This record gives sequence, C-alpha cells and structure tokens, in this order.
Amino acid sequence: MATQSDALGRSQFLERVRKAQARSRLSFRIWFALTWIVLVGGLVFALWITGNIDLSFINEWGPYVLGGAGLTILLCVTSIVFATILAIFGAIARLSGNPIINGVASLYVSLVRGTPLIVQIVFIYLALPQLDIRIPAIPAGIMALSFNYGAYMTEIFRAGIQAVPSGQREAAQALGMPEHLVMRRVVLPQAVRIVIPAIGNDFVAMIKDSALVSVIAVQELLWRAQNVGRQNFRTLEALLIAALVYWILTIVFSFFQERLEHRMARGDR
Amino acid sequence: MNTWRRFVTVPIAAIVLAACQGSAAEITNVVCVGEATTYLDWLNGDLEPDEPDPIAEADEAGDLLETIRERGTIIVSTDPNYAPQSFLQPDGTFVGFDIDVATEIANRLGVDIQFETPDWDLITAGNWGERWDISVGSMTITTPRKEILSFTQPYYFTPAALAASEQSGVTSVDDLSFELPEGAEATTLPTDANCAEAIQAGREEFDLWVSAGPTIDEAIGSDIPIVKVSDSIYVENLAVAIDKSGPEHAALLYEIDRIIGEMHEDGTLTDLSEEWFDGEDLTQAPGE
Repeated sequence: MATQSDALGRSQFLERVRKAQARSRLSFRIWFALTWIVLVGGLVFALWITGNIDLSFINEWGPYVLGGAGLTILLCVTSIVFATILAIFGAIARLSGNPIINGVASLYVSLVRGTPLIVQIVFIYLALPQLDIRIPAIPAGIMALSFNYGAYMTEIFRAGIQAVPSGQREAAQALGMPEHLVMRRVVLPQAVRIVIPAIGNDFVAMIKDSALVSVIAVQELLWRAQNVGRQNFRTLEALLIAALVYWILTIVFSFFQERLEHRMARGDR
Repeated sequence: MNTWRRFVTVPIAAIVLAACQGSAAEITNVVCVGEATTYLDWLNGDLEPDEPDPIAEADEAGDLLETIRERGTIIVSTDPNYAPQSFLQPDGTFVGFDIDVATEIANRLGVDIQFETPDWDLITAGNWGERWDISVGSMTITTPRKEILSFTQPYYFTPAALAASEQSGVTSVDDLSFELPEGAEATTLPTDANCAEAIQAGREEFDLWVSAGPTIDEAIGSDIPIVKVSDSIYVENLAVAIDKSGPEHAALLYEIDRIIGEMHEDGTLTDLSEEWFDGEDLTQAPGE
C-alpha cells in the first residue's frame, strides 16, 4: 500500500517537474522574444521620434538599393563555389608529401591570410592593369573573394580530411586501391560531409565581407546605399536599409546552414 | 571614494572642455575638396589650367573609334554623385548634364552608350585599362593631366566656388582670418558631394568647401546648411578626355571634338546647359 502510493507520488512528482520545466522553457522563450521586440521596437521608435527619417526617400530609393542584394548573393554564390574548388586542391596540396606542392599551397595560404581582403580586392582591380592584366570590376571582386576564402577554407578542408579515420584509408589501401582513388572515392566524400557546415558558415561570413567589393565600384548593396545616400543627403536611411538587408540575408542563410548542420550530424550517428 | 570620483570627474571634465573648445573655436583654415580635383591643385598652389592640343584628322583603321563602331557601344565613365551633372535615378539609370552630353555624342557617333562608375581619382590618373573608352565627366584641362590624357575642346565652363557651413557664420571671403588659397589647408574626400555630406552630418573638421558652382548650388538646393561665399574663384575649361596609355585614338578624338563643335554651333549644348543649370548658359568661353 505504502509502496503503491509512493510510486504514484513519484510519478506525480515527476509529472509536476516536467510541467514546471516546460513552463520555465516557455517563459524563457516568451521573455526572450519580448526582449527582442522591446529592443528593436524601442530602436525604431527612437529613430521615429527624432523625425529625421525620411520615409518618402525609403519608398523611392529602397527598391534600387534592395536590387543590389541580388548582385551580393550572386557574388557570394559564385565566389563560394570557386573558393571550395581552390580549398579542395589547397587542402590536398597542404597534406602532400611533395615539398614543392606543399610549399606552393602553404605560400598561398600564408600570403592570403596575411594580407587584408581589401588590399587583395584593390590589388586585383587597380594594381594588375599595370602588368597588363585587366579584369573588369565584378570578376575582380569574385576573384578576390574566392582567393581569400579559398585560403581560409583550405585549412578547414585540411582538418576535414585529417578527421576521416585513418582506418578508412588503410582499408582502401589494403584492397589495393591506388592512392588518388583512395582520396577521391574514400577520403574526400567523407571529408566533404564534415566540412559542409563550415562552408555554410563561411558563406554567411562572405555575405558581409562582400560589402568590401563596393570600393571597386561593383554596384552591390553597399555601393548602392552609399551612393544613393550621398546623392540625396540621406545617409542614415540608406545605410539602415543596407544594414537591414545584410542582417536579414545572414539570418536566412544561417537558418539554412543550421538545418544543414543538423542533417549532417544525424547522418553521422 | 576618491578614486571613484577621479574616474568619473576627469572624463567628464575632458568632455566638457573639448565641447567648449569645439564651439568657441574660430573658423579653421581647413578646406574640403574632392580627391584629385583641380580645387585641390588650386589650394596647393599648383593649378595649371591649359588648352587642348591641336587635333588633326586621322585614319579610322585600327583606331579606338573603329573598335567602338564594331562593338556598337561606347563606354563612358561617370560619377554617380555629381548632381546636376551626373546622378542616379531610382531605377538605376543616370541623368544629368554630362549624361545628356555623353548620350548625344553617342547618338551622333551612331552607337549605344554604357556608363561605368569608377572613382574620380581613377579617371584622372589615366591607365584606364580599357575598362571605359572616354570620360565625359566635367574634367578640367590641366597641364599635368594632358601628359596622360587627350582632351577635346571644352564642352562647357564652370566657375569654381567657395561655400561655408552655416554654423561657421562666414558669409564673405573677408570673414576669413587667412588668405585663400595660400593660408588654407586642404583635406580631401573621395568625391565633392562627400564634403557637403560631412558638413550636413555636423562634422567640424572643416567649415569650407570648394567645388564647381553648379554642384554647390545643387547642395544648397538640397537644404545642406551651407552658404555660397564666393561665386567665381576661377573658371574651368571642361572637356572630354581619353586615356593616352590605351589604344590608338586619334580618329576618335577628332570625331568627338568635331561633334562637340557641332553641338556648340547648333545650340544643343546651350539648350542642355539651360535645362540642367537653372537657365544658365555655361557653354560660352569666358571673356568671349
């Protein structure tokens, strides 16, 4: 009798704990959302009461500035593809036993990681013509972004390749697979799975870094915002639009990136 | 308690002091100008206005003109922020006096037009790398520029003007405690409109701005808190430029020069000037 009521008490107790936990989770979420709403609302309200926000400007020029987002995304998608290709070769070379190949890749990584991205962008666009290498603005921007991210991603890919258990490679070798096939068929597919979330992460970072390409007159988001703001003497509104678009873009892509990461992690179990 | 007080009062005192200095200071001798402009040369005392070299007829074969005709498009560099000469529209196209002049040149060449928007200092530095064919960007002909660029005859003339921020209280050159340009110190921003933008933003690094008269009028028309202090410091010859380091372009230069002469004669340039510069005809050479 006593044990029965004890068991009942325990399950009731556990039920209550669960409910309390759910309530506390719910209240956390509500307060969290409220904090955001209050902060963002307060900011919007503060800007509003200054009376310095010109809504007609936003109406008139908003679509043009927004149009730059397309070019920003195009720049980033193209660059991330090239960067990934560069990074795959870079990582294989960085792991190579051949001192020359390894040296070339290490120099690339060191050079790119040791210089600011903006210097690389301006160099490709402005300095190379002096050597008779003339690249139009948009391809120059894509080159600089791919080159830069390729170097950072080389290190990520190298870690990814090294994270593939050595037993995999040994097993393939034991089956008599030639070295290049071991890499292509066994190691790389597994490494890519490991690094895909990191590529997504870099893509989100690149959306923000791509704003630097505005210095070589590529008419992406920031270029448009700056020029439109300057021309109409409405810099605050113009930069607010640009900042908001970058923010939304990073939120959207981060969301996809997180889902991708989840999927990848599930496959691993 | 003592340390606490020191930590609070010292920064506050510093801020108050700095604020007092800011408001009580007399007008600084810093003048804002666009990068690589003749206004900067003028302030530095090395402005050398010049005339275009004589232009002779040339063979079109192998000339940039032939390339442009084959391409069917002329690529023109322009500043996206130089109202009323050249500025953006909400649909992403450009309008303005320079834009209309360039479009008319393209029409008379029988080709389409495409605009590029490199920074001004890139255009004046030459070495365009064949990214654009010509500059129709209100460029003053100067001796140093003539070493790297070929110029046509001027298509119009603008007075350089001096503006002061309203809060400086300057209304005439006599209010300045220094001589212009000798006593002035130049500070440059990427393009002329940046100076107006900085004054509007309440920056106090400078109170004075030298730019083209129409550009300053435009800023005043956009409610920038500035006043025009001097109307005509000097007058500039503004012409179409072509990069000397680029391909052979004698025939193109001759053809564009001829078209500009034609546009002067048939009144096209006068009409465009009156349209964009509040009824003013800036296409007549001063003193003529």
